[in-house]
Amino acid sequence: MDVGTWIAALLTLAIYSFLYKDNPFYKFAEHLLVGVSVGFLIVIAYMDTVVPKIIDPLFVRHDWLIIIPIVLGFLMFFRFSSKFSWVSRPALALLIGFGAGVAIPSIMQSYILSQMRATISPFTNINSLGTTINAVLIFVGLICTLMYFYFSKKHEGTVGVAAKIGIYFLMIYFGATFGFTVMARISLLIGRVGFLLSDWLGLLKIS
Amino acid sequence: MNFWQRASSIDRRIIFILLFIAVVIPLIFNFKLPNRVTKEVQAVYDYIESLPPGSVILMSFDHDTATLPEMTPMARALLRHIFTKGEKVIGTAFLAEGAAIGNKAFKFVSDEFGLKEGEDYVFLGYRPEISSAILGMGENIARVYPKDYRGVPLADIPLMQQVKNYRDIGLIISVSDNDSPNAWINLANARYHKPVAPAVTAVMATTYYPFLQEKQIIGMVPGLKAAAEYEQLINKPGTATVGMAAQSIAHLLIVLLVIVGNIGYFMLKRRNA
Repeated sequence: MDVGTWIAALLTLAIYSFLYKDNPFYKFAEHLLVGVSVGFLIVIAYMDTVVPKIIDPLFVRHDWLIIIPIVLGFLMFFRFSSKFSWVSRPALALLIGFGAGVAIPSIMQSYILSQMRATISPFTNINSLGTTINAVLIFVGLICTLMYFYFSKKHEGTVGVAAKIGIYFLMIYFGATFGFTVMARISLLIGRVGFLLSDWLGLLKIS
Repeated sequence: MNFWQRASSIDRRIIFILLFIAVVIPLIFNFKLPNRVTKEVQAVYDYIESLPPGSVILMSFDHDTATLPEMTPMARALLRHIFTKGEKVIGTAFLAEGAAIGNKAFKFVSDEFGLKEGEDYVFLGYRPEISSAILGMGENIARVYPKDYRGVPLADIPLMQQVKNYRDIGLIISVSDNDSPNAWINLANARYHKPVAPAVTAVMATTYYPFLQEKQIIGMVPGLKAAAEYEQLINKPGTATVGMAAQSIAHLLIVLLVIVGNIGYFMLKRRNA
């Protein structure tokens, strides 16, 4: 067994020791994780961003146009100064403009137009009781949930009933999300326990 | 103190121990429980099956080490299926840690198949700013990634000589523990009409179900359960399959604790009233 497995196993135990109570072993493992993650991030950011995007174009390919984005990027550092933060505004404006330009049409397409179509399209494929119930559920669920978020009219009468039904749909969504979250967290526990039992203690064989 | 009072004030550390036992025992004794393959996982499998051998699939590793136990089994199962079919893979990462994770996944699975980097697969590594990278790759992958993860220029890589942009790619799989599949759906699918399949953590699953309805994604592989389903489909049981019995028993324990806790709460409330 290699040293790495021992280190990983002991650090796993140190992290899980927090479940009993906070202790120096947990704190050490936590700080180590933060330090290693930041160190790794800096190296990767340098090797995979600074080198191919700045150093190579500038000093290897002599692509002088790259100076424009470099200067704009450099302006962003003025955000740290309260006196000169205005210098960063052109770069920030460009970034926001690009972000909005890219996001607005694609989000309109993916989140609004396609999802509106998806609410109605089940009615065009009705061929059994199941598909009918599905189509009605999706339509009623959408309308009622939207009614819950409609605040310009008091939630009473028909609007109140629809908003109430909307709350039940939301509750079902939260329940499903919570169930999936529990599943995800248990999966992580299984992964670590599996590692301890197989790689470290050799009690299991998992590939 | 009666049973319900005890149940309501149980020390959380006892619950941790019970949960630990519920996970360890099925793992040690290798319990097997049936696992039904869901429609969304079957759809991803069928789509990869339908691609002709030699097709190129883009696989993006957009997760960090915290979710490795969930993501590794699904990434390995997907890669095993793709390589069994004789298809090629281009790997990317839009999270810094994804670069090391993706590279390791490729090495692990390609060694099983005796594949050659650069011919059967290529790993391009990490790029920041996912939206502009996805858009840029739609025009020309080499402009976003002039070199691969090893530092080899893309022009010198045999596999990349037949791939210029999304037109040469059959499917995009986003192995992710965050909302990066949204970027693939919004940009690669909505703009370039490329089929996308998210392989995500269970936490993210409910976010992507609405996209199935309108076929904005061809299917998805959500969480360890779906990874176990995929292992079952390719007939290669692995970490996910081993973990499923532990998962089910832990869930039963949690359901039991929720029921006991709630009954206890209402019993005490009624008594106090």
